[in-house]
Amino acid sequence: MMDRRSFMHGLSAAAIAISANAQSLTGADAEAARQIAPSHDATPLRLGIIGPGSRGKELARSFLRVPGVRITAAADVYAPRFAELNQVCGYEVASHADYRALLDRKDVDAVIVATPLGLHGEQVLAALQAEKHVYGEKTMAFTLDQSAKIVQAATATPRIFQVGHQYRYSPWIRAALARVHQGEIGDVTHIIGYWHRNNSWRRPVPQPSLERLINWRLYNQWSLGLLAELGSHHMDIANWTFGATPTAALASGSICTYHDGRETDDNVQAVLSYPGGKRFIFSSVTDNSQLGDQLWLYGTKGSLNLTLQDATFYYEPRQVTRVDPNHNGAAVTSASYQASGEMPYRGPGHSVEVTTAEDPTTAATRAFIYCCRTGTHPIADVHVGYGSALCVIQSNQARLDRREVAVPPAL
Amino acid sequence: MVLPISNSVLSRVLACLAVALLLAPTLSAQAPLQRFHQSHPAMGTIWTIDLYAPDQPTAEQQLTAAFDEIDRIEDLLSNYKPTSELSRISRDAGQAPTVTDPETFAFLQRSLYWSRVSHGAFDISVGPLLRAWGFIFHQGHVPAQAELDALQPTIGWQHIQLDPAARTVFFTHHHAMELDPGSIGKGFAVDSVVALLRAQGVTSAFISAGGSTFYAIGTIPGKSGWPAEVPDPLHHGQVAATLQLRDTSMSTGACTQKFFLYQGHRYCHIFDPIAMRPVEGVLQSTVIDPSATDSDALSTIVFVLPAAATRRLLHTMPQVQSLVFRQPTAGASEPCSAVNWSGNPCASSALETPGAHTP
Ligand SMILES: NC(=O)c1ccc[n+]([C@@H]2O[C@H](COP(=O)([O-])OP(=O)(O)OC[C@H]3O[C@@H](n4cnc5c(N)ncnc54)[C@H](O)[C@@H]3O)[C@@H](O)[C@H]2O)c1
Repeated sequence: MMDRRSFMHGLSAAAIAISANAQSLTGADAEAARQIAPSHDATPLRLGIIGPGSRGKELARSFLRVPGVRITAAADVYAPRFAELNQVCGYEVASHADYRALLDRKDVDAVIVATPLGLHGEQVLAALQAEKHVYGEKTMAFTLDQSAKIVQAATATPRIFQVGHQYRYSPWIRAALARVHQGEIGDVTHIIGYWHRNNSWRRPVPQPSLERLINWRLYNQWSLGLLAELGSHHMDIANWTFGATPTAALASGSICTYHDGRETDDNVQAVLSYPGGKRFIFSSVTDNSQLGDQLWLYGTKGSLNLTLQDATFYYEPRQVTRVDPNHNGAAVTSASYQASGEMPYRGPGHSVEVTTAEDPTTAATRAFIYCCRTGTHPIADVHVGYGSALCVIQSNQARLDRREVAVPPAL
Repeated sequence: MVLPISNSVLSRVLACLAVALLLAPTLSAQAPLQRFHQSHPAMGTIWTIDLYAPDQPTAEQQLTAAFDEIDRIEDLLSNYKPTSELSRISRDAGQAPTVTDPETFAFLQRSLYWSRVSHGAFDISVGPLLRAWGFIFHQGHVPAQAELDALQPTIGWQHIQLDPAARTVFFTHHHAMELDPGSIGKGFAVDSVVALLRAQGVTSAFISAGGSTFYAIGTIPGKSGWPAEVPDPLHHGQVAATLQLRDTSMSTGACTQKFFLYQGHRYCHIFDPIAMRPVEGVLQSTVIDPSATDSDALSTIVFVLPAAATRRLLHTMPQVQSLVFRQPTAGASEPCSAVNWSGNPCASSALETPGAHTP
């Protein structure tokens, strides 16, 4: 994306670049640039957080970088979270054991839902019903039914609903996908997403009775496992790239390494079928981190590699070139065999340069506040959320049923 | 007959039961603590953590959480990552006051505090200076005075204005800056990890940020602390001090690893921000303080300040122990100077360097 030198060079030019970018871009990208531009509007905006756990606190940090934002209330069933949140905010946040009490408050304009996946549906719907703006963490909901209800509720209300697919706001992913959509790597037919780690995905538990609350990801009650927690981001990028949602899902998984009483698989594989025979393939393992978190977009003219920090293009060797018909040089026979033709490409790529490679979550949270203040439609809207929920929920169904499952149309 | 039980008795009984239930798993576990070790690259160096835990899965979870926290702080403060919050501030705060989160704000407040009390010997705005001297890309370069003069208006901690009420950062000279956390960020990350490990119930651990900042949580079981040695740079292979660290940090600044040679001269990566030049004649500084953020910053400050100024500064900070070695040939009256240091680490230097005195 950008080396140290060009980054340093970019620092001083950054502000100019923002406005220049906003002017030269069109449509969705110009809108994204507007939403994530530095904000100087300090109109008070009061946030409530349901589930200030690990992600909730990170979101709090990000939201506190937006002028005028104050976190006024939090709801959690695990009391130690309140002190942790106060520490993040540097002031005391009103605390509630029941999220409905938070929704009743008049001093909460917008609500963050960052609880375990199984709780998103109920809490997001209740928050929209209470006429709050909602920043709902991914995956949007646990079931298709809940997801559809959220789409309905969010489209019926003037309030903002934004889903936690922050990569929609990542400057380098936006810049790279804009080029893909302009045809830079031809027709993208396959996307492969890897999210490989080497750790047990377990969190320390202060006492055994808290196991299912703290390690909820490992149990079916609230979790759809790796497909949801890691796969949903990649599936969203596949939907975005293909401009469609899949029609069918295949998946499998197993518990291979961590036989510790968990219910969700410690490795999963999914294949999503898109219109035109296109495919997205997802792999997640938790006992080898060599591949890390990355996506490969394969097109007829080249490839794009996306990571948490950068984007790099690679181009296919030219296949067919037009030749001057008057050129009649004689062919010379030879018997050489070129093994390198089938070897993987190991050379450098062409990185995507952006002047403001900002943290996607910082950008997404600022955009959300901008939308709340101005009534602008968010980039990562409820349809984005529904699209990735479709992928997650149906590929999980395929994993359970061990057969291909149809994916209903987008809403 | 049913005996009446008062509410308070009942609640006390219940409380005892609750405590017993809480303790049950810990009591039944009662495995002797074992020592675990893991290393992890972050912030341009290799971090290591040694900790005592009842079993391997517990140790793995604690270490994963600890290294995740270090990575989180790196993502927050790295000047090499354009996505970091500090980089965002560097880019934006010259345009208008920029709101940041309380953690980053506290980091900046502490950085400016040390700039103020050290009268500018410590300054996180030296990024452009390090670049002009070729330290960012490791190529080494002695800039012409004109080059340095041109940089002067853009750097300087006094241009960084913090407004605690609005939590804003503003560069009063309206320039973008290059805030460089290199001389305090590792210590800041160490303090965060220590808080996290303590919250998880860890009572014995040793954290090393690439060897330049250490923190000891508790002691090695059955010992009086975690052992640490300060090498004596005046006597190769010798040790100036051996300590048992316990619930405290120790940071060291030295010119032995990051430097470049030009025409036989050694240029050090630790800068005197006022002179805009690498510090000359100092070999090594070591500071012990309960806060790793502070010991990290102070190890630079006592490296940059002359011995007398260090003594004046630390006069009001009895908890800070400092030990600095200077090149005896550089006209330094004190090749070894210790302030508030327990023991006599300068003994050997004093013996061999007539005229030197130790406090
Ligand atoms: N967008 C991203 O990149 C990203 C990253 C991490 C997590 N997430 C998402 O954020 C969500 C939370 O993940 P996490 O890692 O923070 O989990 P977590 O377990 O750390 O936090 C969840 C919090 O919800 C609380 N909670 C549980 N039940 C509750 C209830 N009924 N009412 C109120 N609070 C309740 C828990 O006590 C906990 O504090 C998940 O959906 C996850 O997928 C998103």
